[in-house]
Amino acid sequence: MKVVIVYTWARDGANAAVRADGTVDWRGAKMTAGEDDPAALAVAKRLAEDTGGTVVGLTIGDGDASWVLARGVGEAFSVTDVPPYADNAATARVIAAAVERIGAVDVVVMGDSKQDPGVAPAVAGHLGWTALAGLDSASAVDGRVAAVRRSATEQQTISAAPPLVLGVAAEADVDTKPGMKELLAARKRPLTTWPMGDLVDPGDDVRSTGTRKPDVVAATLFDGDPATSAAQLVAALRADGVL
Amino acid sequence: MPPGLALGRHRVVGGAARDGRVEMSQEVDFDVIVVGGGVAGAVCAYRLAEAGHEVVLIERGAEPGSKNLSGGVFYCRVMEQVFPGFVDEAPVERRVTRNVLSFLNASSHVNIDYWDARLAEPVNAVTVLRARLDAWLASRCEAAGVMVMPGVRVDELIVEGEQCVGVRAGDDELRAHVVVEADGVNSFLAQNAGIRAKEPPKHLAVGVKSVIGLPRTVIEDRFHVIGSDGVAYAFVGDCTQAVAGGGFLYTNLESVSVGVVLRLDDLATKGLTASDVHDHFLAHPAVAPLIDGGELLEYGCHLTIEDGPTMVAHDLTRPGLVLIGDAAGFTLNTGLTIRGMDLAAGSAIAAADAIGAALAAGDYSQQAMDAYPAALAATFVGADMKTYARAPAFLEVPRMYRDYGLLLADVFHGIYDLDLTPRRHLLGTATRAFKGSGLKLRHVVRDGWAAVRAL
Ligand SMILES: Cc1cc2nc3c(=O)[nH]c(=O)nc-3n(C[C@H](O)[C@H](O)[C@H](O)COP(=O)(O)OP(=O)(O)OC[C@H]3O[C@@H](n4cnc5c(N)ncnc54)[C@H](O)[C@@H]3O)c2cc1C
Repeated sequence: MKVVIVYTWARDGANAAVRADGTVDWRGAKMTAGEDDPAALAVAKRLAEDTGGTVVGLTIGDGDASWVLARGVGEAFSVTDVPPYADNAATARVIAAAVERIGAVDVVVMGDSKQDPGVAPAVAGHLGWTALAGLDSASAVDGRVAAVRRSATEQQTISAAPPLVLGVAAEADVDTKPGMKELLAARKRPLTTWPMGDLVDPGDDVRSTGTRKPDVVAATLFDGDPATSAAQLVAALRADGVL
Repeated sequence: MPPGLALGRHRVVGGAARDGRVEMSQEVDFDVIVVGGGVAGAVCAYRLAEAGHEVVLIERGAEPGSKNLSGGVFYCRVMEQVFPGFVDEAPVERRVTRNVLSFLNASSHVNIDYWDARLAEPVNAVTVLRARLDAWLASRCEAAGVMVMPGVRVDELIVEGEQCVGVRAGDDELRAHVVVEADGVNSFLAQNAGIRAKEPPKHLAVGVKSVIGLPRTVIEDRFHVIGSDGVAYAFVGDCTQAVAGGGFLYTNLESVSVGVVLRLDDLATKGLTASDVHDHFLAHPAVAPLIDGGELLEYGCHLTIEDGPTMVAHDLTRPGLVLIGDAAGFTLNTGLTIRGMDLAAGSAIAAADAIGAALAAGDYSQQAMDAYPAALAATFVGADMKTYARAPAFLEVPRMYRDYGLLLADVFHGIYDLDLTPRRHLLGTATRAFKGSGLKLRHVVRDGWAAVRAL
């Protein structure tokens, strides 16, 4: 299988601040590897390994394109001048166009970002492929992908035939930092860059018509010895007519 | 390591020993390894790469600048030597043309407000935010051919015999002819290598700082600056709640950097916490209106050097190793200004030139490395470290942090408080204020003399 791992394609929400009027200030934050990127990379590698195939990397925007090259991937592609879109479908349109340009791809794997949940399914939409999201892991069995999804009560294994877009959600932070030698080696690996204009016209980004902060819900904290706190809680619930 | 991993360029050094010097027959990954992507490291790496050498710049932060407390006033004339047109090309915030020295008391302050158009021609000092400046410096390094390696913390130096031959991080080693330590004030590397002892708290100070966002127009109105001009305040007195140290406030383009620098030993003696002193300062009636309505963008604390002149007394070199910037102790705190970035750049230039000569000669001995401190002594860095050698002792005078501010305010109060009592001549007012201050004339004379000699 030829697997594309899509990485560092979004900004880290931790670098943003919400202003009093509800608008978000990104303070020039760059695109970074998301918390799901390492898990997605592990899935991509597994699929290639199972099938004797290859993994190539794909990134967009101003993030570190060598992130994947320093983690054992042999080749990467980067669409350099993609701005961070508010519209998940616009981001997906660029990614889908790049996947098409890479060519002969069987599976696209990407992190299932909480901030941009629409990107993985929209990539599948643009490509006309099947999307499986919220995945925990995946392996290849007889030319098909066996994708595992977990909920609180059950584990589901879905078998699907490529071409596929897989969204992987990390259970834990699994990134291992590459060493100096890996970082040096990454420099020697091929990185092809495309300006966005060569691939696709992403259209207009969505425009926001207004923002506000969510309403603050008042909370009361009963703090003290357990017996008194419990009594206070019961009294308050009574007073509010809950009990 | 995966099989068939292609490493950096390998080169075999040496062979025949000249002058009885030990030459190493070791492969190197780079000519020079620079540890630390601050001002010192970036300037040194850039200059060496410009001269055609193979350089790696290793920075533990995910990106250069991400670990650095956000800047201050950069006396940037020295940068022109490395980056012609620095002020116009680098992401600097404002050009400082106004300096305010503020003697702060609990309910009064006296300011010396110095504006001078000459400070802009040529530009002498700029305010910078390090996250932006360091990222720019790193990109210039990359363009010059430096391999910038962020996200790697160097654990130790590799020393064979007396010779420093590389660095270790995790399981990996990189080798080079010369290692440059530019890893900042803590420089655990220098401590572990036995070059520097753990500094006594008296040599160090802790800085706590906030960056507060304000609209550009508000900054222009509040601080009477236009265009890209800016102002730098230095505060003494009540800003530190009598702890040895001072307060500062600088205007950036759309924010203000404000905070305190406190000498570690005195902070401990007075039993205060740095963050409480910081909060007290920001709430002071002289400061609060300047930052009113602003939005807190950043808050952090960092060690800085209080007594650079004493710190740099240790060695700056070993065979195959040089120390620059804060790692070497190059910071001057005169009470009126904190200078570290310009000295970082100055020491980096001197080191790069000495290393360049060593590479050309293939000589990495102690003697070859010592060309760096020798050259440095002849520059403004060496000269200023000498000139201000007495400043730290002068700044120890406790009267600096309370009595003089109160005295000044009392003099001006005597002049401006027209309470219907008969007026005195200025001299009388001053004498009366002085008598009421409890200060001793001999102390004042001694402090004045010390100030003249120290600053
Ligand atoms: C509150 C405060 C205010 C100041 N104000 C001013 C001012 O107004 N003007 C001025 O000129 N100076 C000021 N200074 C001093 C100035 O910040 C320093 O002198 C200057 O940053 C020194 O530069 P440097 O490159 O030597 O070290 P740093 O800027 O400290 O850079 C060292 C770098 O090395 C990296 N590093 C450390 N250890 C390792 C390792 N083991 N492996 C890899 N990387 C490592 C760090 O992440 C860091 O990026 C101030 C300092 C403080 C704390």
